[in-house]
Amino acid sequence: MPGFVIDARGIEKSFGTLKAVDGVSLQVKPGECFGILGPNGAGKTTTIKMLHGAVESDSGTLRVLGRDVATQSRLIRAQMGIVSQEDTLDRDLTVYENLWVYAGFFSIPKKASLTRIEYLLDFMQLREKWDSQIKTLSGGMKRRLHIARALIHEPKFLILDEPTTGLDPQARHLVWQRLRELKAQGLTILLTTHYMEEAAQMCDRIGIMDGGKFLVEGPPQTLVQEKVGDEVYELKGGASIEFLDSLQGLSVTTEIVADILYLYSRNGMGIMEHLISFGRKDFLRRPATLEDLFLKLTGRELRD
Amino acid sequence: MLFPQAPSHRAFRVWVRHLVYYRSFYLAEWAGNLGEHILWLVAFGYGLGRFVPNLDGISYAQFIGPGLMVSVAMWNATYESTYGAYSRMRIQNIYESMLMAPLTVGDIVLGDLLWCASRALIGSTLMLVVLSLFGLVGSWWAVAILPILFIEAVMFAALGLIATSLAHSFSFFNFYFSAIVMPMFFFAGTLFPIKGLPIWVERLSEALPLTHAVRISRGLFIYGHVENFIWHFSFLLGFTFLFLTVACVLVSRRMVE
Ligand SMILES: Nc1ncnc2c1ncn2[C@@H]1O[C@H](COP(=O)(O)OP(=O)(O)O)[C@@H](O)[C@H]1O
Ligand SMILES: [Mg+2]
Repeated sequence: MPGFVIDARGIEKSFGTLKAVDGVSLQVKPGECFGILGPNGAGKTTTIKMLHGAVESDSGTLRVLGRDVATQSRLIRAQMGIVSQEDTLDRDLTVYENLWVYAGFFSIPKKASLTRIEYLLDFMQLREKWDSQIKTLSGGMKRRLHIARALIHEPKFLILDEPTTGLDPQARHLVWQRLRELKAQGLTILLTTHYMEEAAQMCDRIGIMDGGKFLVEGPPQTLVQEKVGDEVYELKGGASIEFLDSLQGLSVTTEIVADILYLYSRNGMGIMEHLISFGRKDFLRRPATLEDLFLKLTGRELRD
Repeated sequence: MLFPQAPSHRAFRVWVRHLVYYRSFYLAEWAGNLGEHILWLVAFGYGLGRFVPNLDGISYAQFIGPGLMVSVAMWNATYESTYGAYSRMRIQNIYESMLMAPLTVGDIVLGDLLWCASRALIGSTLMLVVLSLFGLVGSWWAVAILPILFIEAVMFAALGLIATSLAHSFSFFNFYFSAIVMPMFFFAGTLFPIKGLPIWVERLSEALPLTHAVRISRGLFIYGHVENFIWHFSFLLGFTFLFLTVACVLVSRRMVE
């Protein structure tokens, strides 16, 4: 097996005085799905743009598909599909023309590109829209067309920057479904998203980014288990000092946000009984999630 | 690789993209072009021309005919490489999407320039058709003007693309048009001879690339031969390569952060 699909070591990028990417190292193996999570402005898009050479790194080394991005990004792009965060569909062209023209950029022979376009229109459920103008498409259709366009040359590696942001639940589920199918076919995938649960299901590993750095990185379940625990209890309404003191003996960590008290527990033993003995029945008990980890690491204040 | 953003044969794929778009509106554009060309020729060649004495035995309409062909090429190439290219580069993210495919900035720039020049050439060809319908073409060599105009159009498209890569909004082009394109149009000998004007105007005129396209075209159009062809041609070619190189560098800077 040839080494890593992505091999980034200490890459950095500043815009003026702002350090958008501050020493990111990342190795992704063939067939793996890696998810980057992070609040707005964390540096996700800049990192992704560095991978295909749209942003040049200030320092560090960056190899993608075994090639150096600084000198060979054109050859790298020939084998990789990119779905950018911004809409970059060609609004002067129809759906079909978008795919046909893009196939030309990859020098795909005419006949092969026609069959590929047919296949992708079906795969992304866009067949009946093939002759439509881009401006008549819904947000979900545009995203699907973006993904279809990124797959036109059967890439080995697919990058998606917030592929489901702004989509309705139906469209979102379709996109995740298709991505899972692509992953099952062996495609290496790197994506960014704000949908934690979907990332947790889909990604073999995730990295949580903030301030241009990865705060943690690893398999989602392991990370949640290690950094948050197994279970969360949410208690509405205030908590008295003596109640908080009484929790000392249990293996829980606590957090108070507005009028909610969160208890993060590692083994769950005795917590239910304790709550009930204090007459607290108004709690919600649920498994710890990636979102708990995300908020724990990146804080709760708004970013934009 | 020494020049990772250098142009290649893949520029053709970029040109094809523009052609696919063009298919949706070219008939309307041709009709508009024809109407405009006839209007210019009638208003200037015959309207204004009634008050202009024959120049070296040539009617004013015949004098400005090749001048109009040359300026159509310049204006078309300039519009397409400023307003058109700015929209592709900054508003529609079309360059960005091309850079997510295996194309270089050089491919995109060259493809765009070839496209601007192709469109300009169509405009000039329609002008040639109008001029021949009015019986103004003096020599079959007039057809040989077209490849010259293609080079001229690539040059002006490259200059326009330089302006586009420096622009931060469409309003920059008002400046570019009034400071560069308009003076070029008036002082290149398209509508009136430069000879006999103050010496500094003559000197300025000699330095304008458009002047050299005008000289070649007028010679071919009326007499079928051009004096000092090599000099004028080299001047055009030199500026074309210069502007093309500068355009590649500046667009690279704009596209890769
Ligand atoms: N071209 C640019 N010029 C200046 N600042 C930029 C540019 N691109 C991104 N930034 C800044 O870099 C930081 C990271 O941005 P980005 O990578 O887009 O974050 P994310 O995708 O995680 O939301 C932000 O503060 C953003 O404002
Ligand atoms: Mg982003």
